[in-house]
Amino acid sequence: MNAVDATEHYETSARDPAPALLTVVLDTNPHAWALLEDSLPLSKAIANILVFLNAHLACNYANEVAVVASHSQKAAWLYPHENPATKISHDADGDVSMNGSSTNNNTTEGPGQVNKYRPFRIVEEQVTHNLRELMASTSGPDVKANNSTMMAGALTLALSHINRRSIAWAEAHGADTAAETSGGGPPSGGHASGTDTTEGLQSRILIVSVSGASDSAHQYIPIMNSIFACQRLHIPIDVCKLSGDAVFLQQASDATKGIYMSLTEPRGLLQYLMMAFLPDQRSRRHLVLPTRVDVDFRAACFCHRRVVDIGFVCSICLSIFCEPLDNGTCLTCGTNLEIGDYGAKPAVVARKRKKKKRVNGPSGTATPTPTPTPGP
Amino acid sequence: MGDSDEEYIGEVSEDEDDNNVFRGSRSEGSASRAKRRKQRGGAEWEVSRTWETLVEGADGTISSTVEGLLEAGKRKRLLKDTTPLQRGIIRHLILIIDLSQSMTEKDLRPTRYLLTLRYAQELVREFFEQNPISQLGVLGLRDGLAIRISDLSGNPTEHISAIQTLRDQDPKGLPSLQNGIEMARGALFHTPSHGTREIFIIFGSLLSSDPGDIHQTIANLINDKVRVGIVGLAAQVAICRELCAKTNGGDDTRYGVALNEQHFRELLMDVTTPPATYSQKQSASSLLMMGFPSRTVETSPSLCACHSKSSCGGYLCSRCNSKVCGLPAECPSCGLTLILSTHLARSYHHLFPLVNWVEVPWQRASRSSVCFACGIAFPPVPPKDQWQTTENQAKGMSVSSRYECTVCENHFCIDCDLFAHEVVHNCPGCQSKPTFPKKADLLGCQAGLGLEIMDTSA
Repeated sequence: MNAVDATEHYETSARDPAPALLTVVLDTNPHAWALLEDSLPLSKAIANILVFLNAHLACNYANEVAVVASHSQKAAWLYPHENPATKISHDADGDVSMNGSSTNNNTTEGPGQVNKYRPFRIVEEQVTHNLRELMASTSGPDVKANNSTMMAGALTLALSHINRRSIAWAEAHGADTAAETSGGGPPSGGHASGTDTTEGLQSRILIVSVSGASDSAHQYIPIMNSIFACQRLHIPIDVCKLSGDAVFLQQASDATKGIYMSLTEPRGLLQYLMMAFLPDQRSRRHLVLPTRVDVDFRAACFCHRRVVDIGFVCSICLSIFCEPLDNGTCLTCGTNLEIGDYGAKPAVVARKRKKKKRVNGPSGTATPTPTPTPGP
Repeated sequence: MGDSDEEYIGEVSEDEDDNNVFRGSRSEGSASRAKRRKQRGGAEWEVSRTWETLVEGADGTISSTVEGLLEAGKRKRLLKDTTPLQRGIIRHLILIIDLSQSMTEKDLRPTRYLLTLRYAQELVREFFEQNPISQLGVLGLRDGLAIRISDLSGNPTEHISAIQTLRDQDPKGLPSLQNGIEMARGALFHTPSHGTREIFIIFGSLLSSDPGDIHQTIANLINDKVRVGIVGLAAQVAICRELCAKTNGGDDTRYGVALNEQHFRELLMDVTTPPATYSQKQSASSLLMMGFPSRTVETSPSLCACHSKSSCGGYLCSRCNSKVCGLPAECPSCGLTLILSTHLARSYHHLFPLVNWVEVPWQRASRSSVCFACGIAFPPVPPKDQWQTTENQAKGMSVSSRYECTVCENHFCIDCDLFAHEVVHNCPGCQSKPTFPKKADLLGCQAGLGLEIMDTSA
């Protein structure tokens, strides 16, 4: 009866290695880059990243790249980007050759650019041009107003682009894979639960992060949603951390089986990028990857921000509290909660309170214990 | 056999009246007809004449209409209610699979049996993806008996391998709904009151050979607050509809009959969305104690407490320090629920759904030329006099192919609309603009509570 399931046939069909789409999310938070000014200024980092993008494009003629900036005020596309100023109707999905004709006319760089491989030059021109625009549009008050970064938005934009490219690729390469990738919902389209990572466009996301985690707390739900979407679509999130430490991003790379690297020496950015982040999913299977074992999974309670090992969770809104609530009302959703009948738990709580009272008792011996109310 | 048949027919006749009544009223109220038709499943496909909806476009081809219909189909899946309902996130579900002789039919390819087993495995995987802190158990109906396939637990691989072993066996005998439900009721009996109690049945037969009165069983289910959902593979069965309606407070939408493989799959995957809580009385909410263990990596392998397998990595229970190999799990020695904070976060999109995006008429379409998220070009705005002609297309789709998030007012294409609502659960526009001056808007978009204080970082 097992013979009916014909997964074998799909795997054995010989085909060219599928192209890879690399999406770089670049954290352009001005505060954090100002702190890095001595070791790695932004301009140098951009130069390094451009070399890295070129290396990726050179791996396979069909490889694609995309760059999103996660700025302090907004998330914006650096490449491919639709420039509203130029009304030339070019290919909307960011096809390299079509965009080339338009950018060619607009931006005339120095004569040294003439002999550059065309896809390299287009990426370079667009990224630097759009980044310059983005920086020019950032005013002083904007920078003062906040020092976080729009990581959730950048991730969502990156995912939308990956989705678009996957659909386009699947349409171009037969309807068999189209059913799987454009399904939108669960990635396992019937038979291909094991094979869907080998077919279709291979996408991955690289986050070059400089901001700390403390400011992105309000983006927790959107960031988590993006991470789970990546997990479902088998898109690894690689994180290259230049400064600070972000717990969300650790969890992101851990959940999606990506690489997390915190650079001890930011000046060597290019080398880190080339050695650790260039291999695609297929080659990673044969490599010993830099791993990070000590991912922090503990939760912080909502009431005191204490890090807890054992917490109490509201069964309605799933908020975490560090101790049983006094009046049994959830602080987030306001539901009346009963303490569950969990084996040893009521006893444990009772004992703790008694102990505290006893500890308090001797210290307060100077004050006489309140006498019970006298009888009538 | 004879007994159960008689009883069953008695039931049908009672429900038959009901059916006749609503057939009579069909011609009267179109609204109720549409609702009924949706529930009945089969009727829509039989009655509608798909060729009549095709209209030639201006250029004499039907490609534009076909594209429109495709887009409308995509959109139809999306337009669900986005009211932030209180949902039972902590679920206890018993999946009952019909393993009787009627499952050998080949109307669903390759056979009902094999397809059901394959989809059941997908269902288990997707269920735990969507409901990481829930419990699932699997039962089978064969030879008039209910057989236990896997016990109530939170580990998807156990259920999947248990269902996998069924492939070597053949379906036989008659099913007994009552036996299956009674066994499921027993399995759900001890579950805590803060979680939901659900039974989901994949039923391929048109009969049920029961040892006793199934109405008594239904009454017991109502007492125990167990909700039942059924997917039929053959045709509508009156007792199944009654079972679903009575245990869901009169709402029989949880009974569906599969039209084809795709529809069968959709009906199954609907189960993965947590059910809305009907009233405070139905579920007592409570404060649960949970452990957030830390991951450990040892130099030499040791046995885990849950499966007694040796491994180097694992998680240490925060209360008793015994090692478990995977999460979420219940500590085998002290019984504490062990989860990761990310498991909790996985359920948030059910609680705070993304609002539906609205169609954009031509009047407002000129604001955008490309999709905000993916950059695909929208069709250009035609001259004003052509606006009316394109207006009357398939409903549910936007004439201008643009969909607008009502909060950030950006325009998106249909693919990004689907992707944002079904996979990411984020609005690309709302997340990409400055939030600090307009924080209220952002929260409005996620339809959330004051959860921005949430922080699971250390």
